[in-house]
Amino acid sequence: MSHPATAISSVKLAWALSWAAFWTGFPFKVIVALLLLAAQVHPWEGTGLITLLMVSAPIDIWALGLTARTFFLERMGIEVRGPVGIGLWWQGAVLGAGMLGVAYYAVGTTAALCKKAAEATLGVVKKVIPIPVAEQITIELLMWAVPATIVLIMCLLIWLKLFGWRIKRFVVASGQTSSAGLQERVREWDAWRVPADSVLMLISFTAVAVLLTVAFWVLLPVTTPHRHPDYPPPQADAVKKKVKPEELLKKTEGTLAKAEAVLGSLEEEKAKEKKGKPKGK
Amino acid sequence: MNALLQKVYDFVDERIDLKTLEAKMMKEPIKGGSRWAYVFGSVLLFIFIMQAVTGVLLMFYYIPSADHAYASTQFIIHEVDYGWFILSYHFWGSSAMVVMVFAHMSQVFLWGAYKTPREMIWLVGLALFGIVMAFGFTGYLLPWDQRAYWATTVGVEIMDKTPVVGDFLARFLKGGPTPGQMTLSRFFVIHVMVLPGALMGLAGLHLFLFRSAGPAGPFRGTPEELKAKTDFFFPRQVWKDIVAMAAVFLTICSLALIEPVVLLEEAKPDPGDYHPEPEWYFLFLFQLLRWKIFAGEFGQFLGATAIPAAFMLLLAALPFIDRSPERNIFKRPIALLSWTVVMIGILVLTVSAIINREFLD
Ligand code: HEM
Repeated sequence: MSHPATAISSVKLAWALSWAAFWTGFPFKVIVALLLLAAQVHPWEGTGLITLLMVSAPIDIWALGLTARTFFLERMGIEVRGPVGIGLWWQGAVLGAGMLGVAYYAVGTTAALCKKAAEATLGVVKKVIPIPVAEQITIELLMWAVPATIVLIMCLLIWLKLFGWRIKRFVVASGQTSSAGLQERVREWDAWRVPADSVLMLISFTAVAVLLTVAFWVLLPVTTPHRHPDYPPPQADAVKKKVKPEELLKKTEGTLAKAEAVLGSLEEEKAKEKKGKPKGK
Repeated sequence: MNALLQKVYDFVDERIDLKTLEAKMMKEPIKGGSRWAYVFGSVLLFIFIMQAVTGVLLMFYYIPSADHAYASTQFIIHEVDYGWFILSYHFWGSSAMVVMVFAHMSQVFLWGAYKTPREMIWLVGLALFGIVMAFGFTGYLLPWDQRAYWATTVGVEIMDKTPVVGDFLARFLKGGPTPGQMTLSRFFVIHVMVLPGALMGLAGLHLFLFRSAGPAGPFRGTPEELKAKTDFFFPRQVWKDIVAMAAVFLTICSLALIEPVVLLEEAKPDPGDYHPEPEWYFLFLFQLLRWKIFAGEFGQFLGATAIPAAFMLLLAALPFIDRSPERNIFKRPIALLSWTVVMIGILVLTVSAIINREFLD
């Protein structure tokens, strides 16, 4: 009997696993990206990017492990003992990194070449029939974007094919056929995904959400970091002036002394006035 | 703790028959089990609620008058604590709503969920689609900056070209010869009163019809498989819905932080060197209108009104034209091809519109 893993195409297998794993990991990565953004760190460059990548690796390993395990059991009736995520993840990552480099070069070159060709062709055509700007933009876009997209899809397919081939080898090497019937298998893989105590899960989910919200709120700037030129930020100098206690004390003393002198002179004047005034009216 | 919760539950249950309600709401059977593909409708409800919450917060400060709309919006952005974030969330939330409405429509189209007996759900859905787009169109004017003012001016002018009703519609929306205070008042009332009311009513009807017909379920699988996987709404689908809502919420927050709302100059009767442009989800139509065949009075009518109207009518008639019970999208080549062409068309035209910006200056 042929192995159940041979019944499915490598591309389909790799696509099913990576698509599901991508979405499984996505919410967790966005949480990290959002906290970075709130702290004014760009997650697409420098430290932000490194942090995001570092956090993403374990998330992806976990997500790929979960989706692969359930897929093997449900679709192929195969159980894998021992870890799944790490073994598949590094192969997908190495292949992916290689393919990303190739794709970057291949798609870039195709787009550049086709752009030049499109420009030249349209230049000739325009001498015969005039083409208005809006139409020209779309024609030109199609002339380079279609070939570039085809090359991109080819790269993706090659990656899926290679990754799928590795996944199959993995299943054949470390999987065992499950003896359970379909109903039983569905119940089993479901148990991995749905916690036995849903209420507890919801409560802990809410608790984490509240914690994250507080962290986010603390990091979030109170006023906009992107100000309109006509609305400059409030003058910060007035608040920032350094307080020197001694000088402040001296100044206060001086002010008090002055006030005392003024009071004294006022009282004197009053006393004089009283003296000057005739008694009784 | 649990004993106390039980007491509260029993108290409410005695009065409103919570058990039946719970059975109706949570124990709804989902043929073939929960799926990520079914999250879009719930996500739309969630985005709408968040738009209502952020919208109310914005209304605490916004003044819908031609003299104060711009200044009050700038005040929200620059002075009100976290005002910039709430406004930017509301702005990106509207885009998310449009994206999700397209995703939801695509899902029910590809799954053949518009077919008998779900035609009415589909029709009410189309009305909801119109409401979502109208929300975007009316909300765009409210900040009263150059972008807002001129996009609306162009939009209303295009509407004006519609035969028979165009003139009335344009005058009704503008409330005067040129866009001004009357226009702002009308757009504001439509945006914060009419459309939310209509959306809530129709979404309720949409859900009522959905519950009456029951979910369509997967488009393939043997009866044995479907039966093995059939499951209640709670907890698996609820769980998926919550995760999807959280992901959408986080994405909207991220976008608000990456690209917060920044206004242009205050609206004035001269566009200056600003080239009027609608919100991105109308760009594809806007770009189509730049084509030569859509130039001139009749062309404008054709591109801006006749073709979109014909397309919407076709969508409305779809469940009545497409009577075959086959739901598997891989066995409906015309449907799959049409969907692909429409999606690629919208994408290509939107990108063209963005490239077109360089040619304007
Ligand atoms: C604000 C807009 C909308 C909201 C809030 C909404 C909400 C929902 C919800 C909660 C469901 C339940 C199941 C599911 O999520 O798949 C649903 C189902 C459905 N909706 Fe919508 N919807 C909206 C717009 C639309 C539009 C634009 C269409 C199509 C033109 C549409 C057509 C349908 C159909 C056919 C179903 C049944 C799906 C099935 O049985 O599997 N809806 N909608």
